[in-house]
Amino acid sequence: MKRYFIYYMILVWAALTSCEDVIDVPVQDGPTRLVVEASLDWEKGTAGNVQTINLRTSTPFFDKNKVTAVTDAVVVVTNDNNGEQYVFAHQSNGEYLTTGFEPVIGQSYTLQIDYDNERYTATETLTSVAEITNVFQDVEDGFDEEELEVHIVFDDPIEEGNNYLFKFQRRGDLLPELEVAEDEFVNGNEIDWWYEIEEDEDKNVLPFQPGDIIDIEMYGISRPYYEYINILVDQLGGVGLFEATPVAVKGNCINETTPDNYAFGYFRLTEVVRTSYTFVEENQE
Amino acid sequence: MVVCIVNHKICSGCNPLFFELSLNVEYEQQSKFNQKMNKQKTKNDFARHGIWLLWLLFLITASAMGQENYTISGTITDKSNGETLYGATVFLKGTTIGGVTNTYGFFSITAPEGDYSLNISYIGFQETNVEVALYNNQKLDFEIAELSTELEEVIVTAEEPERAILRKPEMSVAKMNIATVKQMPVVLGEVDILKSLQMLPGVANNGEGTGGFHVRGGAQDQNLVLLDEAIIYNTSHMFGFFSVFNADAIKDVKLYKGGIPARFGGRVSSVLDIRQKDGNTKKFAASGGIGLISSRLTLEGPVFGEKGSFLISGRRSYADVFLALAGESNRISFYDLNLKTNYAIDANNKLFLSGYFGRDAFKLGDTFNSSYGNASGNLRWNHIFNDRLFSNFSAILSRYDYDLGFGQDDFEWKSSITNYNLKYDFKYYLSDKFKLDFGANGIYYDFDPGQLIPTADTSPVNPLQLDRKKAVEGGLYLNAEHELTPKLTAQYGLRYSAFTRLGGQALVDYDNNQPVVYNERLGIYERGTEIGETNFDKGDAIETFGNLEPRVSLSYLLNEKASVKAGYSRTAQYIHLLSNTSSVTPLDVWTPSGKFIKPQLSNQYAVGYFRNFKDKAYSMEVEAYFKNVDNRIDYIDGSDLIGQNTIETEILNGEMRAYGLEFLLRKNEGDFTGWLAYTLSKSEQRTPGGTAGGPGINNGDWYNTFFDRTHDISVSGAYRLNDSFSFGANLVFQTGRPVTYPNGQYEYEGLSIASYAARNSDRLPAYHRMDLSLTYRPKKNKTRKWKNEWVLSIYNIYNRKNAASVSFGQNVETGANEATRTAIFGMVPSITSNFKF
Repeated sequence: MKRYFIYYMILVWAALTSCEDVIDVPVQDGPTRLVVEASLDWEKGTAGNVQTINLRTSTPFFDKNKVTAVTDAVVVVTNDNNGEQYVFAHQSNGEYLTTGFEPVIGQSYTLQIDYDNERYTATETLTSVAEITNVFQDVEDGFDEEELEVHIVFDDPIEEGNNYLFKFQRRGDLLPELEVAEDEFVNGNEIDWWYEIEEDEDKNVLPFQPGDIIDIEMYGISRPYYEYINILVDQLGGVGLFEATPVAVKGNCINETTPDNYAFGYFRLTEVVRTSYTFVEENQE
Repeated sequence: MVVCIVNHKICSGCNPLFFELSLNVEYEQQSKFNQKMNKQKTKNDFARHGIWLLWLLFLITASAMGQENYTISGTITDKSNGETLYGATVFLKGTTIGGVTNTYGFFSITAPEGDYSLNISYIGFQETNVEVALYNNQKLDFEIAELSTELEEVIVTAEEPERAILRKPEMSVAKMNIATVKQMPVVLGEVDILKSLQMLPGVANNGEGTGGFHVRGGAQDQNLVLLDEAIIYNTSHMFGFFSVFNADAIKDVKLYKGGIPARFGGRVSSVLDIRQKDGNTKKFAASGGIGLISSRLTLEGPVFGEKGSFLISGRRSYADVFLALAGESNRISFYDLNLKTNYAIDANNKLFLSGYFGRDAFKLGDTFNSSYGNASGNLRWNHIFNDRLFSNFSAILSRYDYDLGFGQDDFEWKSSITNYNLKYDFKYYLSDKFKLDFGANGIYYDFDPGQLIPTADTSPVNPLQLDRKKAVEGGLYLNAEHELTPKLTAQYGLRYSAFTRLGGQALVDYDNNQPVVYNERLGIYERGTEIGETNFDKGDAIETFGNLEPRVSLSYLLNEKASVKAGYSRTAQYIHLLSNTSSVTPLDVWTPSGKFIKPQLSNQYAVGYFRNFKDKAYSMEVEAYFKNVDNRIDYIDGSDLIGQNTIETEILNGEMRAYGLEFLLRKNEGDFTGWLAYTLSKSEQRTPGGTAGGPGINNGDWYNTFFDRTHDISVSGAYRLNDSFSFGANLVFQTGRPVTYPNGQYEYEGLSIASYAARNSDRLPAYHRMDLSLTYRPKKNKTRKWKNEWVLSIYNIYNRKNAASVSFGQNVETGANEATRTAIFGMVPSITSNFKF
């Protein structure tokens, strides 16, 4: 619902405004924090035993050097029910790996990180996701009625409170795109979620062309993670006049030693379905 | 005592004693209505109120005693078209006795018997003197003529004859002559009253291309905007590019930045009182114009024989026509329609009917369509009880609504606010030293925050109706303008306002009565846990509030050229515009005070120094103000207001404060006129955790509001070269708007995520621009009935790219972070043709 409003505002406003350019502005320098990318995603139909966690630190906003791997942390995930522990061992560049993880839908797990003489913890529940029932292309929908878009169809479960994260990446593009959804307003319905790339001549962005391959990931996410990632996605690419004031988004990784020195990022446990789609000439359908 | 008898005979409806009784009766009803309120408090208020009235009664009696006076009353109109003139000064030469016409052109002055010369003056009009032998009460109507009858050729002068400025305690008022507005340079040739007002001290916008205005560091929803007394909820077309007020249909504009008279209530920051023209009572006339964006046509003339007049004024944009011709499937358009008619039943009774309809429409192919707009209507009855008691009764309807259609997903979203308002206002000219305003009004609100309507069976959405909210707001007021000594004049009054949020739905109950809860562990605010709901029937009052709002101002005349003034006003606001964005949008929704949202309460203190120079050719106004607002809501991080039925889970209660210094130097006469305005100010907000716990928004620290502007300088000038050519220029400089920029980044999900600094702790680059205009009136105008003019305007002549916003993101090709500036208007030339016959 919200995305409709925001798209609407942006489109109308963009139709009225003219001029955008990249400028230099001074920004403040905030504290450096630990960044936890602990995404334990269980792909449907797999064992889910191989999982990675990435640890880095934050940098000044315009800093070009993004290689800030944290290599000396101790990372353990615990199943809150049976106490089973999974130690994540450092590989390289801040990547920590386990091969023995046992994912259980609806199970709560706790993450513990010891780094720089401080202890960070987070707790999260593994959330299931619906099956994708159909993936197809069309031109009729989307903001541009002449351009291709991909559709993902799935049945939202009857009970209310399902939340989704989508990750779309066209092969060859540098950056993925994230979208979030909740089942408020659409609970229990068959949902047809479309994704389109808008042409942007200034940035050399082309809409989908026949032959383009799009990788699609759909995650079932917990409500707290939805609240978190929703703000984060809203703020991606900057915040305009008609969007909420941007904020420093706080995740679930608590610093038990020095609470003010909380970590960025999130400890999430999701079920995910992955698929890809190759666009074809529209008239061949 | 002649006067006393007269008073009793003619004034049974307004005898002070009677008035007090009737007010008390209403007050009692009011207090029954307020059963939920603390009884002790009500009792105290009651007592205070009673004492206040007794004191007033004493003053009235004292000032009415021992005089053998007679009254002159009547109406002052423009000789050329019969429009009544608001703010014209009437005074008896050689005395300090005088007055100013009210919004209906009515005046009443009382003086001891004798022979006088009555002087009538009004900006841009010839001064008129009439000999009056005052040995009985007289009713005299006057028609005065403009200095020049050329099209729009009004010499710009100060708001009122300077004598009145100095003597009247009225302060913190910005008044704009429509003729001044019309010759200022404007963007795209669209004359804009709101943008012109922003050239005066204490009035700011929120950036180009955004709607509304901000007064003395107040929020947009804290302005009461009245068009012929009807509340206008959204003042902008095209998201704020233009305002909804068509200058062709407007007679006068007055903005109360502070010292709000007791007859107004309901908003804490300002009152913008805009009056439509009544229509030409002398002859049929037409005027209009053709511009780049829109065309205008106004028709006016006498109706009902000699007894009335009408005005129809329309404006419509035509970008959609061009888009259609260009084969585009997108559409964008707006229109306004202003209607007014009046009918004089007899010398003492007059009816006015006015209406306004304005709408914007957008269409983006078949994907989206949207429209929004205001509609209002007002039926008024002016009744003159006698030469000293003027009254007006109004029945007003206003409505704002929007709809969004999502074509391909087959659903619609609709939202509206409607109010019905009854008002009865009196003005009693008790003596030359004492005038009294009093009255009552009641408003019934119907809020429809939103409904979701699937438009086809295949629609993916389920139907939804957010709770419709009903409320009533009442007000009673009494205000006196009292000349205490020849040098000291006071204006003091009291307004009592009450508000009840009515039932008709169930409200959610929260665990620990906390709709928002601070999560100590994560350090964030979260929505509270619902534990049930309480049902309120239609007749039930969910919550009732009552507030006493004293308003006082004083003016002390230092000498013939200068005066000092001071004022205090307390105001209450019961409805709030929900907006968590830096600029309000047409899609924002109003919500009433109730169980979770308390009324905003404000105190404003102001002092000022006013002076005329060089035989009134120049004037200077300096004012300092401080104000605070309690119960200003702000929004928790990640708040979601769209389609939100439980707004209380998204907000925290906070406070606001603003202070500043305003300076205005005007040149009022001559071929060159204009002003220099400078405002130095601060506007801040603080939102502690309150019942939700935790430190609050922004750690509970004060933060700049979006409309904080440290420096705001505006220079506006007009130069009349000869009868054919005149020039106008604007120069504006403002400190950049407070914004929130990133203070760090980190990689997550393959993206660079910006982390943001403290709320509004950065600023956009400073805003500045210069505009020029040239008006050409052909010489032929003088000799023919058809008169026309051309206005050539260049906005932002040095093409400064003023940032409306700066957003931060990753370059899609390199992945590097960058800041992108959005600028709205570069240099914009435009040409407009106006005509009149």
